[in-house]
Amino acid sequence: MRVVIAEDAALFREGLVRLLQDRGHQVCAAVADGDALLAAAMRHRPDVAVVDIRMPPTHTDEGLRAALELRRRQPGTGVLVLSQYIETRYAARLLAGNASGVGYLLKDRVADVAEFADALARVAAGGTALDPEVVSQLLGAGRHAHGLAALTRREREVLSLMAEGRSNAGIAASLVISAGAVEKHVASIFGKLGLPPAEGDNRRVLAVLRFLGS
Amino acid sequence: MGTIGRVSAEPLTRRARLELLYCLAGIPLGLCVMLVPYLGVGVALTVALLTPGRELTPVAGVAAITALLLLVVLATRIGRGLGAVHRRLAARLLDERVAPPPPPRPGRGVLGRAVAGLRDGPGWRAVAYQLLKLPAAVLESYAVYLWAAGLVNLTYPFWWGLFRSQPPGVTLGPVPAASPFPGRALHIATYAGTFVALAVGATMLLAAPWATRAVVTADRWLLRRLLGPGPLAQRVRDLEQTRALAVDDAAARLRRVERDLHDGAQVHLATLAMHLGMAKEQLGEDGDPPDVARARELLEAAHRGAKDTLGELRDLARGIHPPVLDNGLQDALATLAATSAIPVELRCDLPERPAPAIETIAYFCAAELLANAAKHSHATLVTVQATRRDGMLLLGVGDDGVGGADPARGSGLSGLGQRVRTVDGRLELASPPGGPTRITIRLPLRP
Repeated sequence: MRVVIAEDAALFREGLVRLLQDRGHQVCAAVADGDALLAAAMRHRPDVAVVDIRMPPTHTDEGLRAALELRRRQPGTGVLVLSQYIETRYAARLLAGNASGVGYLLKDRVADVAEFADALARVAAGGTALDPEVVSQLLGAGRHAHGLAALTRREREVLSLMAEGRSNAGIAASLVISAGAVEKHVASIFGKLGLPPAEGDNRRVLAVLRFLGS
Repeated sequence: MGTIGRVSAEPLTRRARLELLYCLAGIPLGLCVMLVPYLGVGVALTVALLTPGRELTPVAGVAAITALLLLVVLATRIGRGLGAVHRRLAARLLDERVAPPPPPRPGRGVLGRAVAGLRDGPGWRAVAYQLLKLPAAVLESYAVYLWAAGLVNLTYPFWWGLFRSQPPGVTLGPVPAASPFPGRALHIATYAGTFVALAVGATMLLAAPWATRAVVTADRWLLRRLLGPGPLAQRVRDLEQTRALAVDDAAARLRRVERDLHDGAQVHLATLAMHLGMAKEQLGEDGDPPDVARARELLEAAHRGAKDTLGELRDLARGIHPPVLDNGLQDALATLAATSAIPVELRCDLPERPAPAIETIAYFCAAELLANAAKHSHATLVTVQATRRDGMLLLGVGDDGVGGADPARGSGLSGLGQRVRTVDGRLELASPPGGPTRITIRLPLRP
């Protein structure tokens, strides 16, 4: 995988570079602000970009803005946004009708190297990776407590993992159940929540998020 | 320029000119105040004169009383209106900017409005100013007289010859010339005498700007006292201002703490977790790790990261509240002095501990001032003293450096001044170019 990294904290940036190199990925560029990210992505055409949200000069959301711009310019490049906080509004801006090749994770997730690498690979391949924190905030907002109450505990777990952007196989592996069981749960969830059946993982994520966010 | 030069040039300065203008403008304004009561009396008199016969005098009486009442009711409004004119004039000519008093309370209906007018404290103070402006205007006219008469006296030697070329044998009477005492003229009979007038005129002109300044200074004092917002309203205004500063300051400090956490400890911890995660991967689930050296290297980085994070958090915590402050300002200042880049001479004499909030403010002021001195002053010694004087905590920080500290140039001094003001403290700065710099901060012992 060819990766570009944009992160202003040098320590963390170097750690990321090593982590990805250790796993055999090629880090084309590691930069410290949004403009440099766009320039590097233009030059290297990477499979995926890892972007910190808060970067100079304003230290607010320039990473997010650069990520959105990158998605607009190079739809083929996946964008995984990292942050120390989760803002559901940021997630909404990032997804905005298209969940393919997008990720939004807490920086903490990098500590679970294998899972992080898995999420990155998913995003690079055009999939979705949403932080469990985003999903739990949406679930916890209580806007759909009535509909969600109809779900079993297992179904809620499956729903959360779906919202994070996992495939059926990924959900099965995570919950240690069979793929068939996952399929059954998914069908049941869509039925109970009254969601239209969605083909493909990305559409499924959008359908679930739209339901939770509406 | 010596003192003599300064004194003789004073009549030519812009300030003297503007003050003269202010006096000139003050005379008609003062007179116009005098007219107001006469207007009332005038109305009454007119009514009295227009009513023929003796049997109608009660009408005149009623009219006079009505006019008087009307005047009393309207006094505060008139006072405020004229006060605004005076404030504008003073701001324009004297650069004396007096904030307007708070607006009067609105009243409902004719009676309500009349009562509101009567109970308008700032309005009555403005009336008092107008009344005191009368004697002030008299003095101001005297100042103007000094200018005008002095100038006229200067001209005597020049025109004497034109008017005094009488045929021989005719004796002309002496010509009057102005003296510093209006009403007591000098009498000039000879050409030589005109030079006496000239000398007197020059003296009057030299004295004129000082007389003007004296009157204007008194007027300024009255302006501030009587046409301003008044002590209570001023206090409210000050408190509003300092409260806003305190709120801003608190918000800014929280933001700084968040920023420090985000850019410091959080990054360190995230990196540390990442290194540990990578090391865990290297070591594998069981059996011998494939690359022991790499795992060791990662653990080493994680260990270093943990220690860095601890240091970072300790610094941050100390920045929020230095624990040594709990032992008192004396210990805290001693710690500061010990870590200062420039040698510090510390003198601390506080028989009684100030309130914790005051100690905290004093501590952070001292810390900032020491840091400033280290950064900008090129000093070789800084003196810090904390003493009690007149029921206040007095924090003095001085250095023998290059001076030229200027709050306007954003050296953190204006921020300190604001923080000090939130507890009614004061910051005084003396830092001439070339040094030395001396900053004195006065804080109340209790906020």
